[in-house]
Amino acid sequence: MSRKELAEAVGVNPQTIGYLERGDYAPSVELALKIAAVFSAPVEALFSLEPFPPLARTLTKQGDS
Amino acid sequence: MFVRSAKRPFGRSLSPATARGLVIALYALYPIGCVLQLIADETATGDALRIAGLSLVVAAFAAFAVLAGSSLQRQTQEPEAVLDERELADRNRAAYQAHSVFAGIVLLSLIYLMLRQDLSDNRNLDLWTPATGDHWNAIFWGAVMLAMTLPAAFLAFRKSHPDEDMEE
Repeated sequence: MSRKELAEAVGVNPQTIGYLERGDYAPSVELALKIAAVFSAPVEALFSLEPFPPLARTLTKQGDS
Repeated sequence: MFVRSAKRPFGRSLSPATARGLVIALYALYPIGCVLQLIADETATGDALRIAGLSLVVAAFAAFAVLAGSSLQRQTQEPEAVLDERELADRNRAAYQAHSVFAGIVLLSLIYLMLRQDLSDNRNLDLWTPATGDHWNAIFWGAVMLAMTLPAAFLAFRKSHPDEDMEE
């Protein structure tokens, strides 16, 4: 899914999705719930006190196991 | 003030370097141009200084015109319903910073005028004050441009600029 598609699905500017991905902006609860609904994921998956590991490292670990 | 064109209803997207350059050009060239014109009457090379000053002021107005049609200016002027929550948060922060700076400039100007009057009355020391219509004209239009563009200037100098991230 592209940033533009996700942005349209949750009703924000595509640039805002970029800010969220980089961790430069923390979404409101409402926006987080909308994003979680798009991915059918729990909203807790969007928040963490620790920085999320890079996606490439996560995929590599999954591939190894 | 945001100048919306039919071609770019969301304003012209500026790269961070361009936006910051325009802001610096606007805030530097305008006062320098005005000062050059101010001192033109007192020097032998008056005409050259006057032309140079006028050129700088025109360049500053050109920078203002580009900023007035930019997406940064749009973000500072659009109704709330049109912006998303991140854009509103950024705008509120920029508006707060711009208000603080503008209020500070007004306060410093008043302090200068008060000190100038005091020094003039008690120590016979004459500091410059605006006296002619041209002086007030320059100050007025400078204040207008500053008031209109200061929030956009703070947005332009954000750590990460929205327009840096156009990949989708």
